[in-house]
Amino acid sequence: MSDPYSEIRSARLDRRSFLKRTGVAGAAAIVASRLPVPGAAVAQDATLRADAAAKRGGTLRYGILSAAAHFDVHQSGTVANIGPQSPMYDTLLRRSPRDGQTIIPDLAQRWEIAPDGKKYTFHLRRGVKFHDGAELTAEDVKATYERIARPPKGVVIPRTPLFATVGDIVAVDPYRVEFRLTEPRPKPFMLGAFASGWNIIVRKKTLEEHQGNLRQVMNYPGTGPFKHVSRQDKEVWIMERNPNYWNKGLPYVDRLEIYNLPPFSPELGSSFLSGKVDYARLLDPVSWRKAKEMPGVTAAAFNQSVIQAFWTNMQKNKALADPRVRRAIHLAMDRHTLVEVVKDTAPMQVGGFVYPFHEMSTPRPELEKRLGYQKDVTPAVQEARRLMKEAGYANGLRNLDFVVRDIASFKLWAVAIQAMLKEHLNIEANLRVVQTSVWFEEAAAGNFDLAISAIVSTLMDPSDYFTAWYGKDGPQNYSRWTNPAFHDVASQIERELDDSKRKTLVRKAEDLLEQDPPLIPVAYEQIYDAWSNKVKGQNPSTYFGIYDVVRWDQVWLG
Amino acid sequence: MRKYLARRAVYAAVTLLGVSLSIFIVLRVLPGDPLVAILGVEGHARMTPADRVRIMADLGLSDPLPVQYVRWLGDIGAGRLGKSFFRGDTVAELILHRGPISAEIGVLALFISWLVGMPVGILSAFKPNGVPDAVARAVSVLFIAIPGFWLGMLIVLALLFWFGYKGPITIVHFWNDPWQNAQLVLGPGIVLGLAQGAYIARMSRSCLLEVIGEDFVRTARAKGLREGLIVMRHALPNALLPVITISGVLLGFVLGGSVAVEQAFGVPGLGRALVTAVIERDIIVVQNLVLLYALIFVVVNVLVDLSYAWLDPRIRYG
Repeated sequence: MSDPYSEIRSARLDRRSFLKRTGVAGAAAIVASRLPVPGAAVAQDATLRADAAAKRGGTLRYGILSAAAHFDVHQSGTVANIGPQSPMYDTLLRRSPRDGQTIIPDLAQRWEIAPDGKKYTFHLRRGVKFHDGAELTAEDVKATYERIARPPKGVVIPRTPLFATVGDIVAVDPYRVEFRLTEPRPKPFMLGAFASGWNIIVRKKTLEEHQGNLRQVMNYPGTGPFKHVSRQDKEVWIMERNPNYWNKGLPYVDRLEIYNLPPFSPELGSSFLSGKVDYARLLDPVSWRKAKEMPGVTAAAFNQSVIQAFWTNMQKNKALADPRVRRAIHLAMDRHTLVEVVKDTAPMQVGGFVYPFHEMSTPRPELEKRLGYQKDVTPAVQEARRLMKEAGYANGLRNLDFVVRDIASFKLWAVAIQAMLKEHLNIEANLRVVQTSVWFEEAAAGNFDLAISAIVSTLMDPSDYFTAWYGKDGPQNYSRWTNPAFHDVASQIERELDDSKRKTLVRKAEDLLEQDPPLIPVAYEQIYDAWSNKVKGQNPSTYFGIYDVVRWDQVWLG
Repeated sequence: MRKYLARRAVYAAVTLLGVSLSIFIVLRVLPGDPLVAILGVEGHARMTPADRVRIMADLGLSDPLPVQYVRWLGDIGAGRLGKSFFRGDTVAELILHRGPISAEIGVLALFISWLVGMPVGILSAFKPNGVPDAVARAVSVLFIAIPGFWLGMLIVLALLFWFGYKGPITIVHFWNDPWQNAQLVLGPGIVLGLAQGAYIARMSRSCLLEVIGEDFVRTARAKGLREGLIVMRHALPNALLPVITISGVLLGFVLGGSVAVEQAFGVPGLGRALVTAVIERDIIVVQNLVLLYALIFVVVNVLVDLSYAWLDPRIRYG
């Protein structure tokens, strides 16, 4: 094996060579000092570019839920908006469609982060046009983010907390916008927030014309690769290629037809299997397995940004306020069986309080050695019974009101959980199945002992959902749970800029949540997609969720 | 006749007013927050009380109930029928777009119910207690017993897995493409029609058997008329009145059944719109569609009553 340093060691260094080398090194140092600090500009030259091998033309028929309740993407939290509308819009940054993870430039051609992490400067592309012909300027970006960070009355934007530390947003010049933070946040968190598919850039004028509320404005101009053609409510949304798209050569397909086909529904499955659509998102497991066997079809599974869980009302029920009882309930769950119970209804995987596939969470093999996640539940159930006895509930609990959302997977799980609680802990729960709108009313009013549902986050980063799911007065902390030690650690995680230190803190938070569960995790959702092999340029296997890579500009038909 | 019509019109108006009031109150008493569907789960969780007040006012839900009710009646009078809470589409647009598909399914179902039910009923009555009668009765009981949505799902699955076929996934009106349109409406029309046909068969059989025992039929037989002629010319017209009456009632079953059957076949008709609106708590859409269904039911039953005079010359409306 050659020694990489031998050439340097053997070289004779005379005075002239020394001066030459010193001069070059000095010049290099001066140039380097003018460059942004390492890590300040992530993947800045990685704009998605047209592939010469890709074919132009054709119509892509895409099946996804697209019966949105309104048209305001910022105010939405459902795929029914982002599924059909995102191809018409761009964001400041985006996740690369190649892996769904890497953050790459979009309308911001490059960006800088101040060394103290308190200023993010975005340099916008020039000559970007909205579909109505107006040019994109920093004022549009400022107006968009002012609205997201500080929505007007009557406008509710789920992503607002991501920008809680954003103070001033300044349009420095028409192509440069600065976000000044009141205190720094971890770079992956902030960049992830800017790259979220939800944060589409809209015109300042559009927002002004509609008093900041776009719920009933169907076709407001974007800068995206596709333009609106027509829409039939709950049926189809048709778009055509934007010929003036800033990213030359993209998109590849001439026409996009987005059919309203609800998730996990037989309609979506049958539409794909019969060839009515080329790409189906959120297939039910039975249709997905069938699609996998079909010639000329590719099927992929990937992680979704949703936890399925049930909450224990600590304010209403004294027993459930005891951490030992909640931990006992947590340990009494046979999670592998719960995943199996719904395997033909919705694809799921076992996980704890943090996304099980996140780099900072306990790795799956390690997690599955823990009580509560093992395939053999006997040791966990023994510990659960011990805890119940210690808490003074050795004989179990009676008449718990278990509120269940009227959705197939929750109904299946509720019956299984009811049986596990009875068998393992002698806890008797009465199931009360209600419509989704009633569930949230009951959950908000605290009219339940146990309540099962699902909640979503924008980012995989714990700082996004620790506040919403587990935070004191967090909007989805339906258990009304508090734990000062956890809140302190969560606050440190939010502020810690060093990744390895954050990871240690996240593990510490996991341990606290295991001992004092704010909710009982049931499973983490997966997404099943399938597409005809003529659809090229997208494989979502490594994507996280269905809200970031949703633009179809990189997809072509072979 | 005019007096009779005026009286029926008043009765119909009172009935519809009652229906409108009932559905209006029921939808506002039932639990469930429409803002969950509008704002989504995350948005709803983050909504402040001030946001709620503003949004409820925007939707017109913060006004007193009598004001909301009178405003709805005004919208009906103006032909707008109000706006969906969600996308701002008017209910009138929804009905104009989806109504023709559901109407086609309803008419087709009624047509099939007569086309299948009457011959089966006549066959059964013609040779009562024979093998054809037993088979016809068994089959008709079977079709009454089988839920339409289940049969619909079986048909959809059979077509998909055996022939790789699925009907159109968007609305295609008859005037745009009759063949595509037929693929949309045939399935639900047949499933609903067969179920109603079973009722028609049983009713026509029992009515015919009763009429066949009457003196005038015995006289016809004594005069040496052929059995077929006796049934078709003399017995059947006299047995039709109850069958027509039940057809009016069956229309209610068709309207109700279409909600589930459209869902099973994935046909985007009014029935399916109603299901979605109920789930979304889009109360403006629900109350208008329920009222529309009630209106159709009332009108058809008035027409059924009027048809008696045409079918039976002895009946006069004074």
